[in-house]
Amino acid sequence: MNSLRLAAGAGPSGRALIELREVWKTYRMGKVEVHALRGVSLAVAEHEFLAVMGPSGSGKSTLMHLMGCLDLPTRGTILFDGADISSLKGSELAEIRGRQIGFVFQTFNLVHTLTALENVELPMIFQGAPRASRRARAVELLERVGLSDRLQHRPNELSGGEQQRVAIARALANDPKIVLCDEPTGNLDSAAGMRVLESLRDLNEEGRTVILVTHDAEAAGYARRRVQMRDGRMVEAAEEALR
Amino acid sequence: MIKDYLGLAVRSMSHRQKRSWLTIIGILIGITAVVALVSLGQSMQRAVNKQFQQFGYNLITIYPGGLRGSYRGPYSATFELDTDLIASVDGVEAVEAMLYKSAYIRGGEPPDEIEGFLPVVGLSPGITKVFSQFKLEQGRFFTETDHYTAILGQSVPKDLGIGVGEQVEIEGQAFEVVGLLAESGLGNNNSGIFIPLEALWEILGDRGKVSMVWAKVGQGYDAEVVAERLKAGLKEARGKEDFTVQTIEDLQKLIGQAIGILQAFLGGIAGISLLVGGIGVMNTMYTAVLERTREIGVMKAVGAKDSHIMWLFLIESGFMGLVGGAIGTALGLGMDILAVVITKRFIQTNVLEFGISAWLVIGALAFSFVIGALSGLLPARSAAKLKPVEALRYE
Ligand SMILES: Nc1ncnc2c1ncn2[C@@H]1O[C@H](COP(=O)(O)OP(=O)(O)OP(=O)(O)O)[C@@H](O)[C@H]1O
Ligand SMILES: [Mg+2]
Repeated sequence: MNSLRLAAGAGPSGRALIELREVWKTYRMGKVEVHALRGVSLAVAEHEFLAVMGPSGSGKSTLMHLMGCLDLPTRGTILFDGADISSLKGSELAEIRGRQIGFVFQTFNLVHTLTALENVELPMIFQGAPRASRRARAVELLERVGLSDRLQHRPNELSGGEQQRVAIARALANDPKIVLCDEPTGNLDSAAGMRVLESLRDLNEEGRTVILVTHDAEAAGYARRRVQMRDGRMVEAAEEALR
Repeated sequence: MIKDYLGLAVRSMSHRQKRSWLTIIGILIGITAVVALVSLGQSMQRAVNKQFQQFGYNLITIYPGGLRGSYRGPYSATFELDTDLIASVDGVEAVEAMLYKSAYIRGGEPPDEIEGFLPVVGLSPGITKVFSQFKLEQGRFFTETDHYTAILGQSVPKDLGIGVGEQVEIEGQAFEVVGLLAESGLGNNNSGIFIPLEALWEILGDRGKVSMVWAKVGQGYDAEVVAERLKAGLKEARGKEDFTVQTIEDLQKLIGQAIGILQAFLGGIAGISLLVGGIGVMNTMYTAVLERTREIGVMKAVGAKDSHIMWLFLIESGFMGLVGGAIGTALGLGMDILAVVITKRFIQTNVLEFGISAWLVIGALAFSFVIGALSGLLPARSAAKLKPVEALRYE
């Protein structure tokens, strides 16, 4: 199981991998301003398994997009590995996303014209990995999520649970430090969801930082720390002991 | 890297086959038209060059009329020219002349007698020395001592009902027919009658007048240089430049230019259809960007930079251009072959000479790729500029 672990160093270090300081995100729709985040502060250390919980519309996805360098805050500071992401160029943010972050979405977001294998290869193409090693790694990752007999299937030939496992394999393609998941079990039944959550726990155990956005308390139970959001604010940050 | 992107592009195109092909057809039509026209022009040029090669490049033509433009064709004007002066120019080996007239002809035996006006061409007896392709189908050419002898154009026996060995009456003077010209021996005068220049002067009372004079350039002399010398000498003797001195090379250049202008003009018109094809590509690519907005968001989330997305779409549109260009080039060349075959069959003269020019093929392919890529530029830019989060949220 741990044949692919790497990247994330050995033990916990004190420094935060991602740190948000008084972060605001405001969407302007015509004359109306929507404050999706209203001054969120949060630090995520290396090797953490964090669940972000909260009702619909509370700003969880917005928060995840910011932590994943997919977007920039309207106000406040976000430090990724010590660097202020607002001062980075678009190509530098893309570099961070490509090398350090893996995303898993509620709707899987696989490229429907590509096979499972090609979907997993995709992030490596953008990093310029040579074809042979890229393919070998994609096969290995799909084996790991139990899909070695589905390599040439296209997304519409896979079940939801299988698609999400392809998405997890894809998230791991460039061996990222962090895996960000937005409601990864939202479209799955409980058995398939459990399988996904177990993979996430394995990823964390091999040293990766995992951030899980969910409104499902049971899913959040897999995390080692939970934070609660409401109306764009962090309302509760209860640390919990290891189970 | 290009290979990987091409792979991705081909995947998304084959997913939308019908639309991709329709777009490709737009480019294809334009390239077919351009290639067919340009190739046709080249075939024309090739045929012209071949004809000139038959003439040989050692020939200088002198005809009446000053600066280019005032000249109304070789058969409409005559002038008197001092052929001895031309012959004395350094490098001129032989001088031959032609006078083109229309004369009253009578042929055949009563009651099948036919009469009327036909072109009569007076030729100096040494004319075969400058025109090696002046060929007879039957009989012989004039000798130096021949006087009232005639050679018939290819179609005259049919028109007049006379043949070699018989008599033809020109302006009341009987001529003995000694030869029959092979097809298009001299110009396209299939219906003319050729007689010695001296005889024509005599029966028309037009001594000294010629329509055209040819000077053959001796071995080892440059025709251009001799032509310049000739021109200077004639100008001095005549006191004015009421004549034109032209080398075969000049003429070839002139015709080449005319074909080139025609080619550019037609090619330009065909180019408009390429523009339409390009707009088709642009339309398809904009639609593709819209449809694949979410996919673009996903690619950005997994690490694609703006430039990656840009290349992805540019390669896709360029590839569509290239496919259209490749098929279009093949079709265009095919149309040229067809034109060559048809003209050979129905006109029976070699006005076209087929050949494939490498630069045309390479140029057409490169051009179609560039058209495709250029048309994809704006859509690709709009794809590259999409904000990742907005693209991911796009439904
Ligand atoms: N692009 C946008 N333009 C305008 N408003 C937006 C935009 N994105 C998000 N919002 C608003 O910001 C708020 C937070 O949205 P967000 O998607 O982060 O919620 P969420 O907690 O993920 O909800 P859910 O559990 O339903 O996914 C919502 O009120 C939403 O309407
Ligand atoms: Mg959400």
